[in-house]
Amino acid sequence: MERPLSARWALAGLLLAAPLLGAEGAVPPIRFEAATAAVGAGFRHHTRTFPGEFSEVLGMFTSGGASVAVADYDGDGDLDLFLCDSELGTESRLLRNDLEAGRPETLRFTDVTREAGLGGGNDAHSIVSDAVFFDADDDGREDLLVARFGTPILYRNLGGGKFEDVSAGSGLAKFGNTIAVIAFDADNDGRLDLLFANYFKPVNLLDLPDHHVLPNDLDAATNGGGVTFWKNVTEKAAPDGKSRPIRFVEATEAAGFAGFTGWALDLGHADLNNDGWQDVYVACDYGTDRLFFNHRDGTFRDATQAAIGFDTKKGMNVDFADFNHDGWLDVYVTNITDEYMKECNMLWSNNGDGTFIDLAKETGTCNTLWGWGAKFGDFDNDTWEDLFVVNGLRSAGPENYIPTLVEMIIKPGIDFSDVASWPKIGAMSWSGRQKKKLFHNLSGQLFKEIAAEAGVDNVADGRGIGIADFDGDGKLDLYQANANQDSIFYRNRTENVGHFVELDLRGVRSNRDGIGARVALKVAGATLIREVNGGNGYASQSAHRLHFGLGRSTAIESAVVSWPSGQKDTLILPIDRLSVIEEGKGVVPR
Amino acid sequence: MRVQARLLVPIAILLSLSFAVAALAFGASDPYAAALAAVAKDDTGGALPLFEQALEAAPDDLRVANDYRKAVIAAQAYDRALDFFQRLTAAHPKAGNAWLNYGYAYVDKIPVAGSITRVILANGAITQFGKSIQSARTWVALYTRGNSYNYWPTIFGRAPLAVTDLEEALGLARREAEQGRRLRVHARTWVALGDAYWKTDRKESARSIWREGIGRFPDTPEATELAERLARIDAPKNGQSLDDYLAAKLDPAVRVDTSLDGLWSDP
Repeated sequence: MERPLSARWALAGLLLAAPLLGAEGAVPPIRFEAATAAVGAGFRHHTRTFPGEFSEVLGMFTSGGASVAVADYDGDGDLDLFLCDSELGTESRLLRNDLEAGRPETLRFTDVTREAGLGGGNDAHSIVSDAVFFDADDDGREDLLVARFGTPILYRNLGGGKFEDVSAGSGLAKFGNTIAVIAFDADNDGRLDLLFANYFKPVNLLDLPDHHVLPNDLDAATNGGGVTFWKNVTEKAAPDGKSRPIRFVEATEAAGFAGFTGWALDLGHADLNNDGWQDVYVACDYGTDRLFFNHRDGTFRDATQAAIGFDTKKGMNVDFADFNHDGWLDVYVTNITDEYMKECNMLWSNNGDGTFIDLAKETGTCNTLWGWGAKFGDFDNDTWEDLFVVNGLRSAGPENYIPTLVEMIIKPGIDFSDVASWPKIGAMSWSGRQKKKLFHNLSGQLFKEIAAEAGVDNVADGRGIGIADFDGDGKLDLYQANANQDSIFYRNRTENVGHFVELDLRGVRSNRDGIGARVALKVAGATLIREVNGGNGYASQSAHRLHFGLGRSTAIESAVVSWPSGQKDTLILPIDRLSVIEEGKGVVPR
Repeated sequence: MRVQARLLVPIAILLSLSFAVAALAFGASDPYAAALAAVAKDDTGGALPLFEQALEAAPDDLRVANDYRKAVIAAQAYDRALDFFQRLTAAHPKAGNAWLNYGYAYVDKIPVAGSITRVILANGAITQFGKSIQSARTWVALYTRGNSYNYWPTIFGRAPLAVTDLEEALGLARREAEQGRRLRVHARTWVALGDAYWKTDRKESARSIWREGIGRFPDTPEATELAERLARIDAPKNGQSLDDYLAAKLDPAVRVDTSLDGLWSDP
């Protein structure tokens, strides 16, 4: 969208002022410490090895799957990790957080995969690609959906640290090459629905009947898997406390998603027009992203053309934040920006009228190389949400695959969709060893890249990011999942951070997780907004908890929760602690 | 090769007036004149078939093809132009300027294409420029292909090819100057060859050629461009390194001014 000239001048003025704004506040330098082994959070992801002559090409195209999901699965008050693995013979892992309450130094994870009944999913027909915790049956326990190139697996949380595979009776039996999944309440009926991003069309890549499964155009492909939408029709838990069988029915067409056949790589939900209903953004590889506004009934209209226009970029990630405190959630999308392909990311600043303007260049968040997961979080509690972005496709030998690839691309009449057209990569690297990016938000106008100073400029092949205050010290930590490599757990060691509040929302009429609920805090004259989300960000699910930095403020002028049910609760919040918020009651004991 | 779009506006107005005069002079039966008249009336859609008619009659006419492509850009009829030049060159394979403009038609489409399609278009352009050179090793053909190579990221190894073409183009430009035909447009050779030297890690050669260019074409926009490069050759200027400066200058997402007007008008 073209921004009016006057607005551009206003923005230019703000940009000139921004460094001054950033400099005058005594903002502490953000610091992280890699503590993976120290806290027992080590995990190595393995990408899938394909059989047959097209093994290498298919391996390149499916090099995701290094996903992280964060939730308190055992209800003990601290946040646990689920980490996806993709290779045959490997298992995803559930790491239980054994933190002693109030003692951050005791942070320690324990692998409880087997005893929990999890870990499966990679078989001769399926590849694990993503996972999301959500309370599917509203019983107060976090269930787990494991997405696959195949059919998904739904694990019901039985309590006591145990899960049960309930896929068979859930209705989620449709094959898809799913690469990302989110859980949210599309129709505000109090139940969490599922939206799957399907990368390839629904063919079994492990037993290819036809070679023509790759994108039919590298800038405007139309032969991807699109999205599939599943409506949750589980009966609400009965007064006797007994939960009902979890059931979903496919409603892709009824919801308005059926005509879309792009290469969906990530998706996210948020209320982008402040109407109390969740909207959807789909980041697509090889072609235009899509933005869908909710009709306020759980069905959607494709508003892409008017809202953001059509792009030809390689969309990799979706996350949302009100980065400039204007009361509207904005959208951040990673693309590919490298020596050979300069797409620039997109920071869609919300104009508040159903349209968006891309301010990635103006804010300094344009270039993150081969981008993957990106997540907002206020890492120094200064009220402004910062942005961590991981990148890097394939770090292997010294030889670069790109010249080889380009020779294929420029062959006249080449059929990109044919696996046989693509050259083997062998031991070559492709956009590998890229330094991660941490953007410090300077008062909502400009971001400063500080990954090296902050200690997070690793060069792993990053994919997913989980953000949460794992050790309960009031600061957001990071978990970075890497493709075919070891993960990295970063503890936030920033000193002299601002005050904070952290909120754990519990819906009653709304879904129990409070997904889609929005909290607005007024602090020092500024209004900060956050929404609970169900898995936004590529291969990433952060905690459901909402974390607000308050800066130097020791008082919150007002705090209001807007629940998906329509209920609004005014809160009196203690600062510098986690509070549990129940719909209709406000702050309740933990 | 690039100029600010805002500079093109007054130029376009002046050209429109001259086209209108030309149309009157040539008469409506001359398709080129009629095309110019249509352009002057902002009827670029109507002008395109007339330009094509004129080119079919004179396929090697650089000026007609150049004006045609300008109308194509205005009408955003890029695929039409590619199809037309494909037919034209097939029918007239020895028309070097048709091949040259065929290549430019690819370049003209690049800014509206996606990042991968840009690579395909850029390669298509170079292929056609090569055929133009096969037909005649002119300054414009050699400069054009050489400078096109400069737009490719270093990783693709096109920069040494740029040096080869641009050194030959420079020799032709020097020779023409010695013969009294000193065109300002030739200054672009000094710019582009220095860029190619820089991209092949020949820093002193770049410095030398840029300095020579300033001496030969003082007080021109090209001299200013050369000075901007020299100001960054040893250290960043205003926080911008020469690599970053050239990356911005050679950004394929930004429309390149492919007008060849400088060959017959020397402002």
